Amino acid sequence: MRLYEDLRPVRTRLAVVQVVVAGLVALLLLQFWNLQVLRARHFQDLAENNRSRVVTIAAPRGALLDRQGQLLVGNRPSFNVVLTPEHAEDLDRVVTRVARTLGTGEAAIRERLARRRVPYEPVVVRSDADIAEVAALEARRLELPEVSIQVVPLRFYPLATAAAHALGRVGEISERQLDSPAFEGLEAGALVGQAGVEAQYNRALMGRDGYRRVIVNSRGLEVTEAQRQPPEDGPAFTLSLDTSLQMATERAFAGRAGSAVVLDPWTGEILAMTSTPAYDPNEFATGIDPTLWTSLANDPETPLMNRVIQGQYAPGSTFKIVMATAALEEGVITPETTFFCPGHLRVYGKVRHCSVPGGHGIVDVRRALAMSCNVFFYHVGMALEIERIAAWAKRMGLGEPTGVDLPHELGGLIPNPEWKLRTQKTAWYPGETVSVAIGQGQVTATPLQMARVAAIIANGGWLVRPHLVHSAGGGGLDFEPPRPIGISEETLAVVKEGMKAVVAGGTGWRARLRHTVVAGKTGTAQVVSREALERSPDDPSIQPHGWFVAFAPADEPRVALAVLVEHGGSSGVAAAVARSILARYFSQERRPAAPPPTAEAVD
Amino acid sequence: MPLGIDRRLLLNVDWVLLGTALILSLVGVAMVYSAAHTGGSPDLHLKQLVLVGVGLLGLVGAAATDYRRLADRPVLLYVVSVLALAYVVRFGPLIAGTRRWVVIGGFQLQPSEFVKLAAAVVVAKIFAEYRQESLGLRDLLWPGAAVGLLGLLIALEPDLGTAACLVPMLFTVAFLAGLRMRAVVGLVVVMLLASALAWPFLRDYQKTRIYTFLDPSLDPKGAGYQKIQSQIAVGSGGVIGRGYLEGTQGQLGYLPARHTDFIFSVLAEEMGFLGVVAVLGLYLLVLWRMLETARLARDRLGAFLAAGITASLAFQVVYNVAMVAGLVPVKGLPLPLLSYGGSSVLATLMGVGLILSVRMRRFAN
Repeated sequence: MRLYEDLRPVRTRLAVVQVVVAGLVALLLLQFWNLQVLRARHFQDLAENNRSRVVTIAAPRGALLDRQGQLLVGNRPSFNVVLTPEHAEDLDRVVTRVARTLGTGEAAIRERLARRRVPYEPVVVRSDADIAEVAALEARRLELPEVSIQVVPLRFYPLATAAAHALGRVGEISERQLDSPAFEGLEAGALVGQAGVEAQYNRALMGRDGYRRVIVNSRGLEVTEAQRQPPEDGPAFTLSLDTSLQMATERAFAGRAGSAVVLDPWTGEILAMTSTPAYDPNEFATGIDPTLWTSLANDPETPLMNRVIQGQYAPGSTFKIVMATAALEEGVITPETTFFCPGHLRVYGKVRHCSVPGGHGIVDVRRALAMSCNVFFYHVGMALEIERIAAWAKRMGLGEPTGVDLPHELGGLIPNPEWKLRTQKTAWYPGETVSVAIGQGQVTATPLQMARVAAIIANGGWLVRPHLVHSAGGGGLDFEPPRPIGISEETLAVVKEGMKAVVAGGTGWRARLRHTVVAGKTGTAQVVSREALERSPDDPSIQPHGWFVAFAPADEPRVALAVLVEHGGSSGVAAAVARSILARYFSQERRPAAPPPTAEAVD
Repeated sequence: MPLGIDRRLLLNVDWVLLGTALILSLVGVAMVYSAAHTGGSPDLHLKQLVLVGVGLLGLVGAAATDYRRLADRPVLLYVVSVLALAYVVRFGPLIAGTRRWVVIGGFQLQPSEFVKLAAAVVVAKIFAEYRQESLGLRDLLWPGAAVGLLGLLIALEPDLGTAACLVPMLFTVAFLAGLRMRAVVGLVVVMLLASALAWPFLRDYQKTRIYTFLDPSLDPKGAGYQKIQSQIAVGSGGVIGRGYLEGTQGQLGYLPARHTDFIFSVLAEEMGFLGVVAVLGLYLLVLWRMLETARLARDRLGAFLAAGITASLAFQVVYNVAMVAGLVPVKGLPLPLLSYGGSSVLATLMGVGLILSVRMRRFAN
């Protein structure tokens, strides 16, 4: 080995290496300057975004109370199982485990995961889990860190199916609702009112959700809470409903399809509203099971429909209240005018029948109402003619929605020549006027409209605006006040006498009460032609609907109501239903402190 | 003079290099604590501290060894290296899809880390034996083949990062030994071509890494995740940092491999740009002192050995930090002295010891 090597060229080249190393380190520093000094704010935002999550605290919806303050709709705590897919390392494995723990199908969980819109948002994979499921999941907390339990208030309907259509239901906000301005600011998954008062007053009932800003680790587990905005609870609403009357109304139907509504004739407050068959809104509270939804939506008995405001039926003979009022007011008849009823009448070349084959003999307007004589009203109808009939029907609130505080109300139909020309492109036949005169043909009305017609006679000629909400959060709600529609005292007295006679000794005798004078009017709405009904008289689905509208006590009215029993065959069933409702109401009025007797015990 | 405790040797110990390496090791222990204390094994920093202690023993041992004695048996060193690597590739336990370790008495050792040192000795020896003033590409054949076999074995584990360290080592020494500039340029061209030809032979995960490096948003939760999260950690550190143990990216677990390959992200997040400047300054000081040793070495062997070790170390530091800053694709390569990992710390400190040995003996004999 040589002692001295010439190391000069090595040293020269080492200088190059030194420069290269120093240059590389300088380059690195340049990049760190870029990231940490120039773009620090940007990355700080990203880091904050990474670690903090906003968790909403659902505000409990306002409770619904009845007029006595009894709870109609409230909230109860429930447990939701939520899963954040982004935090799962192996989503398939997590889904399998959760499904096994909860004993549900994996497909249902996957479907819910697939519907989600916002990344990093926890997905509810099971709502309203029971305590055993919650315990089973909590025990697997460490194995399934991406799964957690949320406690949320759940809508609770203690009356179950009773008043279901009036109170309504809640459900997950739909795609269409998300895009509509009425639901602005709400996010997918929000529970909103989908029917009834719940939908009508949704925004007010919802209150305002609060939120928590929490710090989470990379697996999504909450480390600490950074900020909290408490929710503002939705205010309680007091409704005009009377629970015990409502329950009596429900019971009175005893499984029949139909509807009834009871009004305070002076204010328009709705004391009871029932539509059967009904559904249990509790089943919707967690977001309904699709198979149940399909069966409800496709049920030929239409349990989701509120027949009180959406059922449009021919009013039948209950329309004679309108006819009598119009004829007296227009001077077509006087209280003393009589017609002879032989049991039928040939009009415009066609024989039209009365309600009894033998006829009613000589009838005035009171007796015509009491016996529901068609022949009398054929004469009246021909004398009034369609325009005046339609004008009076409109004045008494038919043919357009009542404006009740419920969504999706229908207005029924009062036909006239202009309407017929517009929709059917044909002229009005005088014979149609004769049908309209007895509430058949094209005329339709909802039970709520007919209850209001009864209220007009009861309260001395005032048109009320029906409504369900009495006050919200302690403050009263302003509804359009009742307005007079211009009916003379004399006309009202005559019509009322006729309606009293209906119950006292006429077609509505089944509604008679021992201590209270009831004024009413029966009606039948034909579903098919008289001939078709005679061909198969036993087919229940073509039986006419039975109507009964009434107010009581006749001379100091406190309630007005309308009852419709679908395919009841005749008005008798409807009158009996009305009687059991009224009996309940007046027994309760007399003995307010007594334990509630059943409707049948009083009479 | 085995373990010659010669006063002249002690006079020439590079205390600056030794001290700086020690400071970096202790910074590493502190950062390992920050990165791992909330995790499943909260006392990794203590293990790391013990490993630094063991590494210091290795350093002293290496410094006490005369590098020329070490280089007297290049064939033996080389054969042992090849056998060790072959054994690992064939019989090593499969950990996370790779065979990189041997288990000796309960300790996991990564032979490739020590093979790097052996390779530095062998390469230095080969080039030191060349006597001509300038070298051509043909002169690279032998050392290239020797180092290539080692690199191939390491790449088979697979541990591409460590294998890659051998390349700058070989070329730096060749460059110092007088490789003609024409050959240097030619080599660069050949390397570029080779990397293009190597593309079809890369494994899918390796290709994915390169794709997602070019566009991390391709797979923000997968392969792009590490780069994105590391950049967020670095950037959010700002100038003065979030404070020790206060970095949310690291502490809340958003950073992957935060106590190993991405430990510099934790440092950048918690200590900020100032911390980055300080630590990179310390590394620069270490590299500078090492190259200084090469410049002061009494013979070509010492100069090449010091330069080879330095080149491999510099490559690791620069690549790892560039990876943390999002400049180069993610590759499993620890940051020497800072990252948790026994073999890396031990081998790096032994490398420092070898360089100390070169400097100590600049006037010896």
